[in-house]
Amino acid sequence: MLLRYLERGVAAGAIAGLGYGAFVAAVVNPFVEHAESLVHYGHGHDHAHSVAVAETTTAAVGVGGGILWGILLGGMFGLAYYVLEPSLPGTGTMKAYVLAGAGFLTVSVVPWLVLPPPAPGTEHALGTDARLLIYVALMALGALVGAASILGYRRAAPRGRAFAVAVAAVPVAVVVVALPLAAPAGANGGAVPGELVAAFRGVVVSSQAALWAVIAASYGWLHRRASGSTGASAVDRSSLADP
Amino acid sequence: MSATNDTVHDRIERARADLSPPQVAAGVAIAAALGFALMFLQDPLAHEALHNFRHAAGITCH
Repeated sequence: MLLRYLERGVAAGAIAGLGYGAFVAAVVNPFVEHAESLVHYGHGHDHAHSVAVAETTTAAVGVGGGILWGILLGGMFGLAYYVLEPSLPGTGTMKAYVLAGAGFLTVSVVPWLVLPPPAPGTEHALGTDARLLIYVALMALGALVGAASILGYRRAAPRGRAFAVAVAAVPVAVVVVALPLAAPAGANGGAVPGELVAAFRGVVVSSQAALWAVIAASYGWLHRRASGSTGASAVDRSSLADP
Repeated sequence: MSATNDTVHDRIERARADLSPPQVAAGVAIAAALGFALMFLQDPLAHEALHNFRHAAGITCH
């Protein structure tokens, strides 16, 4: 059963990753090239990549990386869905969307509150090691926030759905408001125009959100299909197995 | 669907019953080995080829 969930997660991730990879190749690659051509690397920043790697390679790697990224997220999603399915609120595909939201919060949103998506050409205030450490710690915080939100929803659910949704929003809102105020370490300056940085962050945030949404939708679809076709036999088998 | 009525605890127990310890050990070992290999994929060509992709994913390592 665990393997079925994992398979479905990997398949959903591959579907989502394919689209995401195409998006990276078609939109993000030209965006990054353009932004970096605007910036002069006169500050000892080692950015020899534009010379070292051909454009076709970058495009191919963009698509391939997108698929692998989708499979990684989808596989983790499938495993998490297997374990957490009983405790996720909602029914059917709604559960998948809730888990995908928690995943997006954990992997991206909460870390980005301190370390915003690095726009091309911007510089970081902190070194790579420090940033990786902070990123991992923030992923743990994101998972806690997601769990608190879901538990809050379940506790409040008997008192009405709107109330429960409001309760679930509290931990997320607190983190989204408080974290950037508490730790403005990620503010990265540089020679890149502010609008470009904002546009790039918009592209990154919305494309990652879309990736998670497609994973959830594909997973929900595969899940429904599997329980539709094998549901009856699964029940038969489990009732046979019961003493 | 019996699967929808169990708890998180049941799911973990079920996974324990379904998977043998060597299978779990192999899975963990493969994940660790792949992670280890990825750490060493900082090889300049691979790393630089993924430059745009890391920007796209908003990943901190730059």
